[in-house]
Amino acid sequence: MSAASLNVREVSVVFGGLTAVDRVSFDVRAGSIVAMIGPNGAGKTTLFNAITGVHAPSAGSVHLDGQPMAAVWDRLAWSNLSVTAAAAGAGAAVVAGFLPAWTAATAHAGFAAVSQAFIHSPAVPWAALAGLGLGAAAGVFAWRQSRLTPDRVARAGVSRTFQNLRLFRDLSVFDNVRLGAHRHLGARSLAAALRLPAHRRDEHLARQRAHAALRLVGLDHVAHRAAGHLSYGHQRRLEIARALALGPRLLLLDEPAAGMNPAEAEALIPLIRTIRDHGITVLLIEHHMRLVMGVAERVIVLASGSVLADGTPAEVRADPRVIEAYLGRDEQAAPGAQAASNPTAASRTGADHG
Amino acid sequence: MTRFLRRWSWFLVFALAALVPLIDLVLPARLRITGMLVPVVTYALVALGLNIVVGFTGLLHLGSAAFMAVGAYAFAILTAPCFPIQCGFWPGLALATLAGALAGWALALPTMRLRGDYLTIVTLGCGEIVRELLKNLEPLTKGTQGINPLPPPALPWVTFTAAQPIPFYLLFLALLAGAVVVCRNLRHSATGRAWTAVREDELAAKSVGVRTDAAKRSAFTWGAGLCALGGALAASYSTGVEPSIYDFQMSVIILCIVVIGGMGSIAGVLIGAVVMMGFNQVGVPLLTGLMGGGAEAHPLLDANNWKFLIFGLALILAMRLRPEGLLPAREVRAELHHDPDESDQEAVRAGDLR
Amino acid sequence: MNGAFLSQLLIDGTTTGLVIALVALGYTMVYGIVELINFAHGDIVMLGAMLFLTLIGLLGLDHAGQSWLARHPWVALAVLVPACATFGAAVAWTVDRVAYRPLRHLPKLTVLVTALGCSFVISNLGLLWGGLPLAVFGGGRAPSSPKSVPDLLPTLNLLGADSVVFLGTKEALVLGLCLPLMAALTWFVRCTRLGIAMRACAQNPVAARLMGVNVDALISLTFVIGGALAGVAAVAYATYHGTVQFQLGYNLGVMAFTAAVLGGIGNLPGAVLGGLVIGLVQAATTLWLGSDWTNVVVFLVLILTLVFRPNGLLGTQMREKV
Repeated sequence: MSAASLNVREVSVVFGGLTAVDRVSFDVRAGSIVAMIGPNGAGKTTLFNAITGVHAPSAGSVHLDGQPMAAVWDRLAWSNLSVTAAAAGAGAAVVAGFLPAWTAATAHAGFAAVSQAFIHSPAVPWAALAGLGLGAAAGVFAWRQSRLTPDRVARAGVSRTFQNLRLFRDLSVFDNVRLGAHRHLGARSLAAALRLPAHRRDEHLARQRAHAALRLVGLDHVAHRAAGHLSYGHQRRLEIARALALGPRLLLLDEPAAGMNPAEAEALIPLIRTIRDHGITVLLIEHHMRLVMGVAERVIVLASGSVLADGTPAEVRADPRVIEAYLGRDEQAAPGAQAASNPTAASRTGADHG
Repeated sequence: MTRFLRRWSWFLVFALAALVPLIDLVLPARLRITGMLVPVVTYALVALGLNIVVGFTGLLHLGSAAFMAVGAYAFAILTAPCFPIQCGFWPGLALATLAGALAGWALALPTMRLRGDYLTIVTLGCGEIVRELLKNLEPLTKGTQGINPLPPPALPWVTFTAAQPIPFYLLFLALLAGAVVVCRNLRHSATGRAWTAVREDELAAKSVGVRTDAAKRSAFTWGAGLCALGGALAASYSTGVEPSIYDFQMSVIILCIVVIGGMGSIAGVLIGAVVMMGFNQVGVPLLTGLMGGGAEAHPLLDANNWKFLIFGLALILAMRLRPEGLLPAREVRAELHHDPDESDQEAVRAGDLR
Repeated sequence: MNGAFLSQLLIDGTTTGLVIALVALGYTMVYGIVELINFAHGDIVMLGAMLFLTLIGLLGLDHAGQSWLARHPWVALAVLVPACATFGAAVAWTVDRVAYRPLRHLPKLTVLVTALGCSFVISNLGLLWGGLPLAVFGGGRAPSSPKSVPDLLPTLNLLGADSVVFLGTKEALVLGLCLPLMAALTWFVRCTRLGIAMRACAQNPVAARLMGVNVDALISLTFVIGGALAGVAAVAYATYHGTVQFQLGYNLGVMAFTAAVLGGIGNLPGAVLGGLVIGLVQAATTLWLGSDWTNVVVFLVLILTLVFRPNGLLGTQMREKV
């Protein structure tokens, strides 16, 4: 699987009256590492959520490898829709004609009489029609509601980590990562229940992928501990491993260094490069400037929901608007709430570089 | 090594359970216990089914009696002499299980997007709908009068009669052992891991590519299938079905078997079934005897009129003293005994006070 | 189908619906603040109805004209309604204090199973209560059978004796009890300091606690208000439907909870709307399909509504923080 490019076109996300993301456009070249920075509340995580389908974007579109992601879902939805409508119609017809037919059958009438009773039941065509309509309506509705779901995005090859870790804390490290491999498995429950060969192949594949991902982030030595018992830095790495086990073409990292000490954060630089070298495009949100400047080929600055600057690290660092956006926030920012991801700390590191 | 041991411990448990009828050979007829054990086994089957939905997948399901009813009635309609099909015990059992699974799948189809308590009320409503339909669809279900007699199991060289519960017990025990194997296989498979992921964190599950809707649907399907199997066996043993058995109290009793035994733990569910049905089958008659109740005594002296008081108090106390159940699954215990300080620190570190 | 027919349907539906709505308010308030389906709530209504019937027996109201109170049923009701409301509030407070409060920090399912346990205990208490040797309970020989509630109010049509549409004193009583209570509750929750604190607590208990709100006291207050509403609903139900049985709690409770969910759980106007919708659906089903089908139709309506509006009619989408 090869790295994918990402194009975000005029994406807006509106919550009630608040525009969190305002017509943001940018491109991420296949196989590149791009960082997204910006003060707290700039809409970075919201943008990630819009890309991964957690919140549907209010406007605009997201393209993966030049293909609009929505188009894939639409085709799928149409087939679902027709199946739902047909099934509901047939089901309603069977239900409506069932009782007369059954009554004939219990009277020990022949097969012909039973089928006659079914066909001539006056309720059958009406029920079929009503079922068809209702099924179609439900299908349309479900389609409108569900086309942007995180699982579909993930299965298209986009995986992510979360700013506030979302590990399965009570499962083992290994099981967490094995879940990441889920999209490559058939998950045929009948085969699993009866331990058929298809299940063995699935398990073998999941094991292999999980081990590979754990080795890559260097957590194979703790594979059987509960995820919640790992140190914070290890938990962050575990989230990356889980996202990698999915075999993504594009990886979105939401503050991978948050809560890490400086040494742990620096150690992420080679890891992210290795990930990129495995043929995965990386887009990361980060406040840790040493990490951003060390790893990113391009930096996008987001402020108040729109793109403020977009260029190489050197260009962005020299951009007066960027410095202003950070320093302007500096006076208002309440210290202490988020020690690690604090914009003051971030801008200070940024200033060191600049 | 431990895994090997665990496998054999299961074997041992079932071997011992199969030897229980030997006790009856030395006891006087009045004290024989095998007849009381048959309901324990059928309820354990039903509870195993519910455990897949509630324990493994974390969806609160208050309509399990409905799926028991679907199994029992499908079995009755397919096998009862008063109906034209009369396909015999084993095909009837298989088709009843399939019918239950299909009903579970059909319920899951429109409701999988519902969150938490909305799903709960829908399952409860589904239970009510099934019960009313059983009463109202006279030609099919014979209304409140119910369907009887139903055929006993058929095996070569063994005769099943109501007077002799031991063959029933051994056959049902064998089926229960099969269900335990199926549950264990499912749990340690991609499907089972997907269920766990849904229970622990649905959004995280989605974002690693787990199709949570499909996972919930398969949980409902398997759960309903096992419930239906148990319902059909219970119907065959009691040689008849009637709608009033499958009420809300039945659903709650099955839920309590799962919760008191230990959610998500197969061994716990079996122990829960022994405890709960033991109280119902042995405790209540014993208490009635102690209170001096009987046919002519005042109704307040009949322990059946105190049954739910005792049962309710036991539930309240159980939740107070041992909320994780008698034999909990590892993850559930961890969830209930998180160090509060530790989780507070987590929240603060993640920059989110809630 | 003519106008009179439809108006009768509306009157019947609204009356049953309002009783359901009154119970649903208790469910939705408790759910809003502790996210618990308080299964015992319906059974508190049942206990209230049992108390109502017992008091009728003790005060001799079942023999018309025998005492001064029996000759003045409105006065009797003015005594009985507050008595039942206080009783309901006391039971609800006790249930919360004894069973739920020690489990506040535990997962939802644990508390929910406790609620189911409480429901069983209370409905069993109702069964035993029905076994007391009282004349109104038929001597208590059959505790589980339905007990009929004597008519306190004269049967007369308030719309005139020759009107085709019937609006009796019982219907008037239900309207007169439910509507002012709902108005008062709305005012309380919207305009008083306590009400605002309660809403704040429902939205974010941690923040409310940090602002100095006594969350435990507020939760108790919610249970007390819900219980009082249940007590009033008990009087309305027993008078309007004319029978009391220990299983009433489950049947009414399920309908009320369905109403709360249909309207969007946690939402007070939603609960009233849900109650009215269910009352009307019940009335219409009883007329056209027969009372055997009411539950089927009500739950089908619920499922269909939730398919299209997963958060109920007036509920708002909950957004998960990521």
